[in-house]
Amino acid sequence: MRVLAILIDTGRELLYRKTILVYFGVVTLVLLSFALLLRTDVVDGAIASMSVAGLEASSSRGAFRLGEGGQETGLAGLSAQDFVRYVQLGAAFTLYPLAILMSIFATASLVPRMLEKGAIDLLLSKPIGRPALFASRYLGALLVATANLLYLTCGLGAILALKTGVWNGGFIWSGLVMSLYFACLLAFVVLAGVLLRSTTVSVMLTAVVFFTSLMVRLPHANQDWPLLISGRIARFVTVGIVETLFHALPRTYDFVQAAVSLIRHEGGLQWGAVFGSALSGAGALGLAIIYFSRRDY
Amino acid sequence: MARGGVVALKGLDLVVPRGQTFGLLGPNGAGKTTLVKLLLGIAFPTRGTASVLGRPIGDVPTRRLVGYLPENHRYPAHLTGEQVLHHFGRLSGLRRPERGRRVDALLKRVRMDEWRSVRVHKYSKGMMQRLGMAQAILNEPDLLILDEPTDGVDPIGRREIRDLLLEQKARGATIFLNSHLLSEVERLCDRVAILNEGALLREGSVADLTRPQAAWQIEVRSAAPEAIEAACRRVPGAALVEGRVQVQGDAAALNALIDALRAQQVEILAVTPRRDSLEDVFVRVLHEGEAA
Repeated sequence: MRVLAILIDTGRELLYRKTILVYFGVVTLVLLSFALLLRTDVVDGAIASMSVAGLEASSSRGAFRLGEGGQETGLAGLSAQDFVRYVQLGAAFTLYPLAILMSIFATASLVPRMLEKGAIDLLLSKPIGRPALFASRYLGALLVATANLLYLTCGLGAILALKTGVWNGGFIWSGLVMSLYFACLLAFVVLAGVLLRSTTVSVMLTAVVFFTSLMVRLPHANQDWPLLISGRIARFVTVGIVETLFHALPRTYDFVQAAVSLIRHEGGLQWGAVFGSALSGAGALGLAIIYFSRRDY
Repeated sequence: MARGGVVALKGLDLVVPRGQTFGLLGPNGAGKTTLVKLLLGIAFPTRGTASVLGRPIGDVPTRRLVGYLPENHRYPAHLTGEQVLHHFGRLSGLRRPERGRRVDALLKRVRMDEWRSVRVHKYSKGMMQRLGMAQAILNEPDLLILDEPTDGVDPIGRREIRDLLLEQKARGATIFLNSHLLSEVERLCDRVAILNEGALLREGSVADLTRPQAAWQIEVRSAAPEAIEAACRRVPGAALVEGRVQVQGDAAALNALIDALRAQQVEILAVTPRRDSLEDVFVRVLHEGEAA
């Protein structure tokens, strides 16, 4: 019941901050647009005709066009399956980053606010252990962000399934993979929050984690780059730093690749990258819990 | 207990018997809040031991039996008064039907029923304190720890909080009270301890600390100061202090002073044994501590 109390409170606080509501509103608008404006006619698994807000759609050399000429060119045998995947990839590339960004902004204040004088004293005086208190706060934020991602994937997946008869389970899985990515980032957010007690600095550090994880992937993937450094010690140190950062931070690029692969049903998921990131997130969360549990407030 | 080179508490040895109302007094920075935080596991001691309700400090299940109102408490701004009580009730392990009953009763008891659906960031200081008191006693605790419960509260609010505390006392709860308002402490507490710079200067029952001394105070009708001073000169230990005649000594000294005053035609209105207020004791003990 105590964990439930923290989960409920965390959910209420996130809703109160409105950031999550903005994302929820944007996704709802997208879902309503697809539900109300998209008309499709599927024959033998191919899109025979399609209109968006009354404008006929056509496809030529992989590009969609709305309006004049649609009837003449047609949809060039576009399969319903491909259409669904294109739409879901588009949604993933635009709405997943928005979801992650909004969730980071919304959750970055959770730990610093909990640690404010007068608030933390009360919480710590209640019969709930510090690790459970902190982990519940983290879990509450993660659940809200996951619910938002699932709202997008399940909602859009279901609308497209109703319109085309194609259900793409990979889109739901891609949402869950992005939720795991958010879980890793959130661990760094709460670690920064408990160490520095500042929402702004937490967001900034998370941005640093995000960009660093993208930057170190390039030298990591290119085996020859250390040869550019002439000094042996400098080369050893630089390679050490790059490889440490690559393995210690969530692997943003690999998560994006994993989401795309799941939506397109192409290739296998890189479990090594996912588990490596999960491990780095678990490490950051563990450090945050240990620090929180030992500190005087 | 030391942090960052500052010793917050040193050599403190204190026992608060169950069922008593105990006041902890001291100037700012004396270590009162630190002591409370140690007892509740909010901060950790560098050395020494303590127990709460027979269990070592930091024991999580014991906190189910403890109610706490911190100084300058801050409730989540997104919650209404009613939600605050439900939230902390859940955290205290209170289940729904019982929790709902207590929340309703307490909101009425602290006159916050009309404000139950209003978010707490719109509450005044006094309303926050009343809600804080309700939160602290929601789980009907065996031990109630209050840090400046009447801070920023108007006289009527103070009286309400005092009445609530008396109810808790009558219920058998042990109350541990940190307060600057010595008059409140004097009215409520059975025992007090005076703390300064982390050290215990004095501890005892309020009755013992404010026990009447071998001294008397005589109230006189306005008379010429020369007449009173002439009478005082005839009795060792007598003096005119802030318009009142005081004398140190036994009944013989008192009677000698009365005779001297009457000889000067001074009209006597009242004679009372001199008793220190808790504030007098507090100031004296602190001065003695500083002198030592």
